[in-house]
Amino acid sequence: MTGPVPSGIDEIGLQPGSHVCAFYRGDSDRDRLLAGYLGAGLTAGDKCICIVDSADAAERLGTLPGACGEPGPFGGQLDIHLPESTYLAGGEFTATDMLTFWTEAMVKAEIAGYSFCRLVGEMTWALRDAPGVEHLIGYESELNRVTASSPVVVLCLYDLDRFGGEVVVNVVKTHPQVLIQRILVENPYYIGPDEFLPSVPA
Amino acid sequence: MTAEQTIPRPVPHHAAGAQQAADANLRERLSEFRALLVILLLMTESVSEDQILELAASSAPGLGSARIEGYGFSDGQWRAAGPAADGVSTSDIARQLTALGQGGGQVDLPGRRWVWAYPLCSGSGLIGHLVASSQLEPSAEQRFLIQVIAQQTGVAVSNARLHARERATAAELAATNAALAQTVTSLRRSMDIHDRLTQVAVSGEGQAGIAKALHELTGMPVAIEDRYGNLAAWAGPGRPDPYPKESFAKREHLLRRLMRARKPIQDGERLVLLASPRPELLGIVALIDPDRAADTADLVALEHGATVLSMELARLRGIADTELRLCRDLVHDLLSGTDDESALARAEALNYDLRRPHRVVVVEGKGRARAHDALLSAVRRALRTARQDGLCEIWSGHVAIVTAGQGNWEQLRRAMASDLGSQCRIGVGSLSARPSELPRSLREAGLALRLQKTLLPGSSACEYPKLGIFRMLASISDLTDVEAFVREWLGSLLDYDTRRKAELVHTLTQYLEHGGNYDATAAELSVHKSTLKYRLQRIRDLTGLELNDPDVHFNLQLATRAWGTLQALRDES
Repeated sequence: MTGPVPSGIDEIGLQPGSHVCAFYRGDSDRDRLLAGYLGAGLTAGDKCICIVDSADAAERLGTLPGACGEPGPFGGQLDIHLPESTYLAGGEFTATDMLTFWTEAMVKAEIAGYSFCRLVGEMTWALRDAPGVEHLIGYESELNRVTASSPVVVLCLYDLDRFGGEVVVNVVKTHPQVLIQRILVENPYYIGPDEFLPSVPA
Repeated sequence: MTAEQTIPRPVPHHAAGAQQAADANLRERLSEFRALLVILLLMTESVSEDQILELAASSAPGLGSARIEGYGFSDGQWRAAGPAADGVSTSDIARQLTALGQGGGQVDLPGRRWVWAYPLCSGSGLIGHLVASSQLEPSAEQRFLIQVIAQQTGVAVSNARLHARERATAAELAATNAALAQTVTSLRRSMDIHDRLTQVAVSGEGQAGIAKALHELTGMPVAIEDRYGNLAAWAGPGRPDPYPKESFAKREHLLRRLMRARKPIQDGERLVLLASPRPELLGIVALIDPDRAADTADLVALEHGATVLSMELARLRGIADTELRLCRDLVHDLLSGTDDESALARAEALNYDLRRPHRVVVVEGKGRARAHDALLSAVRRALRTARQDGLCEIWSGHVAIVTAGQGNWEQLRRAMASDLGSQCRIGVGSLSARPSELPRSLREAGLALRLQKTLLPGSSACEYPKLGIFRMLASISDLTDVEAFVREWLGSLLDYDTRRKAELVHTLTQYLEHGGNYDATAAELSVHKSTLKYRLQRIRDLTGLELNDPDVHFNLQLATRAWGTLQALRDES
């Protein structure tokens, strides 16, 4: 697959390998993005892997048309996870573990016969006072390297009601594409992991 | 060719030469511009002033070394972007910002090496300043970024304020519209209520129509009662059968409460209101509302309903008063003498059939029954009970009845006496074929009444047609011979009575009328038997007549009856 795939959000197409940071305001806006994005993936036969920050949101996603199987790892076409078993597995955030999680998930999807993956993570977990959260922007930068050449699109969701301007600035600087107010803002000058990572504290 | 293709991909910084470092720096600046663009987009999208200020302040650290201390607004308000720094006086900042004017410039803050105020401008001018600080003087590029943030913050805050004003105005308009809509709804309902009840009032649907309309308007069962608690009309389901009636004391208490309140009051499961066009004229309208669900519109309907009921009660009373007055006038004219045509027409207007032969009956009360109103009421009740129609009116201290009845007059008299609790007498005239003849019947009734009092024993009804010799005597036009006959037989007694103020003629009359029975005569005269015997002896002495002689007895009885008739005729004249 080489051409853009429909994101399912406001007629926006995404190139395979895209790592898009999406800003929204409030739960209803988040649910709108998730329903469109995952709905398009389920329709297209993509493997969809989703991490949301509340059991309520997970339950609502389970009712999406096309979602099959029980929520949980590889229970069906749509996998729904909570931060406790992903970003914060083991009680702290480590970029390496999380990147491994995504890598393995994509490999398993390929083995299961899926030709394309659609990943999405709700990032509000990063507002918790958990160890390793300070490595979030570095992780986002490094994720570009994992996804760049894979048959995958990734959506990172940031709630503007809860994240401040500094996070927005740093996310934009490290993401090649930012979805905001239904506009996909391209950033061809984004700072790649090789440049960004040495500049942030380890 | 995309922008990405024009910019060399990053080279690991640890291997950077001078050119590569310059390229990386340029890409960093360009990337910051992209981030700034996103921040500005978010500011533009936001309608919350707090959100905009917080976004501007929190984004600054990502764009360089400077931080935003806060915002000073033209109204003197200072909003810190974070925790207040030690030794910073907001009044001092406000004073410095005021001195700067629209241009912005350097500001002194304790413990800060570089502090700069950037103007926050809107389309209408300066709205305040953004105050940024840094421990090192920022580069020109960083100062430019902060300046852009300040400029866009000013525009976004201005827009947000405008938007807030518009929202407030819209909310105010919406509230006004909602209130207006509610007022219109209430007015429409009030008009419906007014229209419906006005229709009832003008169409003469009466109390049943009022109850029905109120039931339709409120959805609740409706009762209309008279002042005594009797049901006058009911509309809606659940009509009690039999209709309950309160005790007199309880009813009076409720009426007093209603008169004091002058508005609907709760009476058990009912919401009641008084309808009283005149103090002596009362009615009650009640909504049966066990759940107390009546709303303002229901109360309006109840009040309108009570008003219409007041009009209806006044109308009914007016009709009754008019009928009564017309009836009085007619009776007066019939007894005084009137032409047939006029009398028949007026009687027809009163829905009374005067074409039948009528007679006059005169009723005289005794004791308490002499009160005219009480006597008149007793006569009306007795006629109603006897199912006998007639027109009644006070006449010369008595009650005169114009009636077509052929009834048992003694039974009627007893019914009146029983009602009054005292004796009464009645005299009955003969039937008159035409209304114009009724004065004759009146004269006969009056004569019968007087003869009954003077000559006849007891108080029983006296019918003129049955008076026999009295009737014959009364019909004689020239009474000279009659008077001479009376004088011939009773002259000495009459003179004695006049001289001594005695009652020998009356005593003789009763003795003869009672067939010479001493006991009955004494009882009638209310005297002792020996007194009676003494009087009879005086009569014998004065007249020289033997009372037991049949011829004497006949002439004396005729003379006493003629004397009574003459007395009655004299009283009449």
